[in-house]
Amino acid sequence: MTTQLRGTDVVIVGMGAAGGVAALPLAEAGLSVVGLEAGTWLDQRDFAPDEIRNNYRDWPMLVKKAEQERPTSRATSATRANQIGGHPMMNAVGGTTLHYWAQSWRLNPWDFQVVTETTARYGASRIPYGSTVEDWPFGYDELEPYYDRVEREVGISGQAGNVRGRINSRGNRFEGPRERDFPMPPLRWTAFHDRMAEAARSLGWSPFPGPAAINSEAYQNRPGCGYHGFCNKGGCPINAKNATHITTIPRAVDTGNLTVITRAHVTTLEVGSDGRVTGVNYVVGSNEYFQPAQVVLVASYTYENVRMLLLSKSRAYPDGLSNNHGQVGRHYFSHHQGAGVGAFFPYDLNSWYGLPAQGVAVDDWADDNFDHADLGFIGGGNLWIMSDRRPISAANMGTYGQSRNWGSAWKRFIHENSDRTHGSYIQKTTLPYEDNYLDLDPTVTDPLGLPVIRITGQFKDNERAIAGFMQDKMEDWYREAGAIEINRGGLGNTMGASTHAYGGTRMGDDPETNVVDRWGFSHEAPNLGVLGASVMGTSGARNPTLTSQALAWRTAAHLVESWRDIAE
Amino acid sequence: MTDSNGRRPAISRRDLLRTAGAAGAAALVPGAVAAATEVTPATASPEVAGQGPVGSALPAETAPFVARALTNLTAREAEILSAMVDRLIPSDEMGPGALDAGVLRYIDRALSEAESDAADAYRAGLAALDTYSRYTRGGPFIDLSTVDQDSVLIDVQIGAATGAGVGFVGGSGSFFNMVKSHTWQGMFGDPEYGGNVNFAGWDLLDYPGVRLGVSPQDQRDLEAGQLEPVRRSAYDYGMFE
Amino acid sequence: MKVSLPVAMGAALLLTGSAVTGLRGQAPMTFIVESPTMTTGRFMPRDYSPDGRNLSPPLTWSGLPAGTRQLAVISQDYGAGRPPPWVHWIIYNIPGDAGGLPEGIPFDPDHPMPPEIAGAVQGNNGWGLPAYRGPAPPLGSVHHYHFAVFALDEELDLPPGLDRRELLLAIEGHVIGQGDMVPLYERQPMNQFPR
Repeated sequence: MTTQLRGTDVVIVGMGAAGGVAALPLAEAGLSVVGLEAGTWLDQRDFAPDEIRNNYRDWPMLVKKAEQERPTSRATSATRANQIGGHPMMNAVGGTTLHYWAQSWRLNPWDFQVVTETTARYGASRIPYGSTVEDWPFGYDELEPYYDRVEREVGISGQAGNVRGRINSRGNRFEGPRERDFPMPPLRWTAFHDRMAEAARSLGWSPFPGPAAINSEAYQNRPGCGYHGFCNKGGCPINAKNATHITTIPRAVDTGNLTVITRAHVTTLEVGSDGRVTGVNYVVGSNEYFQPAQVVLVASYTYENVRMLLLSKSRAYPDGLSNNHGQVGRHYFSHHQGAGVGAFFPYDLNSWYGLPAQGVAVDDWADDNFDHADLGFIGGGNLWIMSDRRPISAANMGTYGQSRNWGSAWKRFIHENSDRTHGSYIQKTTLPYEDNYLDLDPTVTDPLGLPVIRITGQFKDNERAIAGFMQDKMEDWYREAGAIEINRGGLGNTMGASTHAYGGTRMGDDPETNVVDRWGFSHEAPNLGVLGASVMGTSGARNPTLTSQALAWRTAAHLVESWRDIAE
Repeated sequence: MTDSNGRRPAISRRDLLRTAGAAGAAALVPGAVAAATEVTPATASPEVAGQGPVGSALPAETAPFVARALTNLTAREAEILSAMVDRLIPSDEMGPGALDAGVLRYIDRALSEAESDAADAYRAGLAALDTYSRYTRGGPFIDLSTVDQDSVLIDVQIGAATGAGVGFVGGSGSFFNMVKSHTWQGMFGDPEYGGNVNFAGWDLLDYPGVRLGVSPQDQRDLEAGQLEPVRRSAYDYGMFE
Repeated sequence: MKVSLPVAMGAALLLTGSAVTGLRGQAPMTFIVESPTMTTGRFMPRDYSPDGRNLSPPLTWSGLPAGTRQLAVISQDYGAGRPPPWVHWIIYNIPGDAGGLPEGIPFDPDHPMPPEIAGAVQGNNGWGLPAYRGPAPPLGSVHHYHFAVFALDEELDLPPGLDRRELLLAIEGHVIGQGDMVPLYERQPMNQFPR
């Protein structure tokens, strides 16, 4: 028995990074908004600096919708898909922004025009074989005001490198021009960061501090970062991490126009005979509800956005909502963040206190910031040196061939060396390809009996070539800073599930190759909007969250301006 | 159905733990045994060594280990497991080992809580470890010399103990890795969970400790080797009650 | 602490492959390698495998070239590893006047070497362990285990923990003699050997 609820102007499915941001401009404009969230509210008391719980057990323990819907994964359609071991995302008001690293990068201008830029500089033949990459339907300049807005509404710390064309060498000289500085200065550096920055400079590179959704000083009545060291997969006990549950969502609630429904597990969207979306079905425990709405914005994670559309079959959309062109699930890719480089130093790094968003970036080898004429790939990567060390993970460090990893000799080794390793984080340009995609798994289901998403994805030659190139650069950098041992991860094969999952509902002007239009609304169902990285067609070498949030704000602002056209 | 806009009702993590721990214990052992070995979540400061609940939930955690039934393992299984973790992190001139640090209690509690799915793997793996020791080194694991124990554990770790008739499920290496992973959690994790007694693990690493705020001066002191370590559980900061 | 080999030396090894050349490019002379408990072409005792105590086997050698100052031993299986060979054991800095290796060399770096090979150290095998670990081929398959012994013209004082590639690189140009023996092993179902 389904309970029919009273209609509302807008339903947002998912109160996370994107939905939690979009709610604010909608509510401020006076629209009546219902935010459906599978998780619950969590607060400071839930965020103990506890490595066992955060990093080794399944924190948070309350709602496990994402965990129950773990995708299956395979490299190619010729291999078998196995369910992934654990889902990287979490359910809560604020979503994964509660425990994410909070690196908050803008994409660079090149990322919006990969096809045009590559063709102009190197020729069309340099677009990798099989890639379905397109230019975005607009350039960096179009998104800049929304980046700027979100950086202030959410609260981003960082060092500008290009304010309206004026280059500041303390920031990223390769970034697109920004209207003004960050609202907060960057997070501080440690002596090790200083040393790495100095090493980068001696290599002729341009190191700079990265941007973060972390307060570097008091902001919006919340304190600056405490650098306690448990930020990676941990919530912030002093509310210095600007997750949406303490930034945009409460402000939207305060307008009186946003109602957040927690533990609401959305299953499908309903469609009328005219092809317009009429509302969403959700369950809370064993109770079923139908929430009618003029406009529906799906804002869950990439896998769930795609899954919800594919599960919502109707007469108007027999292959899933907004999928009459067969594009839902296409152009999927997960960011190539693997192929890491580890280093062993003969000195303590003093990295016990800090966070993954605190550190030194080098962009000299990212995007098209260097000449690719004689290289076998396009794009590049961002080199990132961060602080992230806790006792259990430190005690699990590799021994670089110097000891068995247990026993008395190991105790001596770890006593000497627990603070002497470093692992780099290298995000790389990753492209969509014809044969990488998401669909519904034919056999694996969630507890409700609905199929989970199946990921078919493999890093191709371009990604692997970047990976090897970036490892060389990273090794150079570590050695310049005195590393005595280096190890490297494999170059990457199966994409698998990722916290940086892109595509599946790509944004573009051509409905033959894209699910949503330049504003984020379906080419087929005009009152359906999609928020999140599932609309992004390129990744750049950046964490996707800030771009998702800027796009979410832009979609919401467009909805407010065009309410009549879209909703009625 | 909604707790919209108001925040969620107050349920502390310790309430949840207490419920889960009690249910797990009740399901797995007879009442009398459960009472005798009750897993009690810590409620007071462990700063006073051996007196707070971190030191008192089970007797003798800083004294030499006395084999006995744990909540989830028989006395025999506990005996084999204690011999194994004693070789993984021995007590030696570098300081206390895994047994001194309460790793056995950590694992036993974990098997009642987050790692309850692993109980069968422990039982099967410990039995296989003993079988392998008898077949290849001529005696039960606990009776072997430490050299032979280490040799056995190396073979278990590298997967070479995976043979017909031994009984490791899915390879001996996965059993080794599971025990090692839990041993490291118990040795180096927050003492709230029953391990890291007297902060033995954090002392071994020279970990400067759990602080909610680290000032620029603290970081400089750390870099100068002059920051006094903090030795308290995260849950001793009152806000996480 | 292990000393890193210069990166440039690694590049040099890639050029020469794994073939070991002697002084001035001459092929090293061969000498005899034997064991009191193993024979080339025959199955070795299970105590040299994880089906038994997994002790390192005893080796003896004779007819070393004049001028042998030091020896190194690599035990490897060319039927395993990606790429082959899989390395079971590496031991070097063995005194030139040692007539062989006793059974059961300590696998723990804290335990002293037998006095007759004082100064010897072990390198990292395929499992990354500075120790002997014996044959564990897939059940039902017979593998060949090469115990290769290198006679060196100099006391090299190499650091412990070198892997095969690093050791071959380090002894390049110092090998004046080489010998080996190749026993076999097949995994035993353990329940047929209750003790």
